[in-house]
Amino acid sequence: MSGVLLFVVIVNILVVIILSLGGVPVLVWLERRVAGFIQDRSGPNRCHIGGIRLGGLIQSFADMLKLVFKEDLLPAHVKNRFYFSLAPTIVLFCSILTFSIIPFADNLVIDGKSYSLQALPMSLGIIWFLAIAGLSVYGIILAGWSSDNKYSLLGGLRASASTISYEPIMALSVVTMIVLYGSVSLNTMVQEQSKLIFGFIPAWGILLQPIAAITFIVAAFAETNRTPFDLAEGESEIVGGFHTEYGAMKFGLFFVGEYVAMSASSGVIVALFFGGYNIPWLSTETIKLNISVISYVIIFLLPLFSYFFIKWMYKNNRWKRKNDIRNKESKVLTKGIVGFNIVLIISLLYFNLLLKTPNVISVLTALLQFGSFVIKLFMMNLVYIWVRWTLPRFRYDQLQTLCWKYLLPLSIANIFVTAIAVVWISA
Amino acid sequence: MKEIKIKKIPRNGDTLKEKLYLPAIFEGMKVTFSHFIKNLKDTDNLRVIWYPEEKPKDITSRYRGVHRLTHRDDGSIRCVACFMCATACPAECIFIEAKERTDGVDEKMPKRFDIDLLECVFCGECVEACPCDAIRMDSGIFSFIGKKREDFILTKERLLKNTIAKDFND
Repeated sequence: MSGVLLFVVIVNILVVIILSLGGVPVLVWLERRVAGFIQDRSGPNRCHIGGIRLGGLIQSFADMLKLVFKEDLLPAHVKNRFYFSLAPTIVLFCSILTFSIIPFADNLVIDGKSYSLQALPMSLGIIWFLAIAGLSVYGIILAGWSSDNKYSLLGGLRASASTISYEPIMALSVVTMIVLYGSVSLNTMVQEQSKLIFGFIPAWGILLQPIAAITFIVAAFAETNRTPFDLAEGESEIVGGFHTEYGAMKFGLFFVGEYVAMSASSGVIVALFFGGYNIPWLSTETIKLNISVISYVIIFLLPLFSYFFIKWMYKNNRWKRKNDIRNKESKVLTKGIVGFNIVLIISLLYFNLLLKTPNVISVLTALLQFGSFVIKLFMMNLVYIWVRWTLPRFRYDQLQTLCWKYLLPLSIANIFVTAIAVVWISA
Repeated sequence: MKEIKIKKIPRNGDTLKEKLYLPAIFEGMKVTFSHFIKNLKDTDNLRVIWYPEEKPKDITSRYRGVHRLTHRDDGSIRCVACFMCATACPAECIFIEAKERTDGVDEKMPKRFDIDLLECVFCGECVEACPCDAIRMDSGIFSFIGKKREDFILTKERLLKNTIAKDFND
């Protein structure tokens, strides 16, 4: 194993861990602030470290700390303590495994050798996602059953029923995409999407297959047990559903697992339907050819965006009481942003003028694509959050009707139409 | 025969657009998104009171705050220790000990008048029951903080010290 390969593998694993586990506090923060803004209230914004609030992000770290240091109680009536403790780990484990299949940049070419930028560079691709995402519901069922509690059992049953119903929909919409792209590997699928339709529209999955996109996104919502399909929790009906009896970090694992699963399915949605790591109209070859132009565009745009962001921050990031330490935050953050701008511009200029070797170009391309992927991932997560604070929960029979009577025939018909179209075009 | 008036209520959900679900969902998402963008642009649009820094302005004279014992015109306690409030109290949080009043204004006055705020449900029955207008809940105090259990027991002296809220009319 060469040094570069080892380095790339370590970076891959680190990226997945940072994006999945490190993304959770950001997602929790997004969830709360977006919910607040949608409902015309503010959301958590007081917690601070030395006056630095980061718009309330510190609150999620405080909550995580609290969950970690809380006493880990085990209810006395729980008989199967092993399964009770095992359940949250299954949920988290499966969520991280599903996340690790997503490619976050195109293959990195260093000294003529190609390295895959996926934590699990396996040929199974999307099949792996389907398998492991289906497995994670075992954690929920196990939690519901081992809690020895009516409400938890109901929550577990509901979770299993909705997963069993929506798994076929998900698989069938994936079949459509496999027929379209002719591969199960996510990286190949994303590379296919860097092409253009009619020479000017990016060939994203959502434009080629809008119906498969809708069915897959709906099924992904049901699979991750998020509103409008969060019957497993159903706090207005069955207390807390499957995690009623859980507390401290055992609950924390469920909580983290839920957000990692959401992030993972957003990643798969992005990879299948929104061009993955592709920057629209710029395929990997185009980026490598025009890298100086792109870096000069970044040098021009970054200070512009920073200027508008700082202006927005000074308008909105205030504290009502004068002489509060939190009023100094904007100045500190401005210094940080300006410093970041200077460092990035200097390094880009240095690269453009002095260091234009093929290896550095491919690393820079990978970084650009990674940035594009992260932006798309968080946009999709934002859609998840946005839908959660818009729609009420489906009733159980509505959930099943929607699945079996509407989505299943639709996705099967879509497979036939796509298959006929693909055969017709290629013949 | 008299004609019966029938009001026909239109039933929704039969058109194709409504059966598709998605147009209605996008409509709803448009509404929430407009709120999100409005508040993100300018946080002054948020309909909140930044509580510890800004105090609530909507506390009216009917608001049941922390109790107070009223005074007579000469400044002495108005309460005659008749136990009406303690009898009316559903939470049984008022403890009165009576003593004879020797200054000629009245015959009886409380020696001890304690209200345990941890038990109190702020129902206002004591105010209703009082025949002398001696106990009132118009202090306007909505937040009461203590570090020990004993801090929450309001004694006669503390109750007499509470005054009517500034912007309330007597």
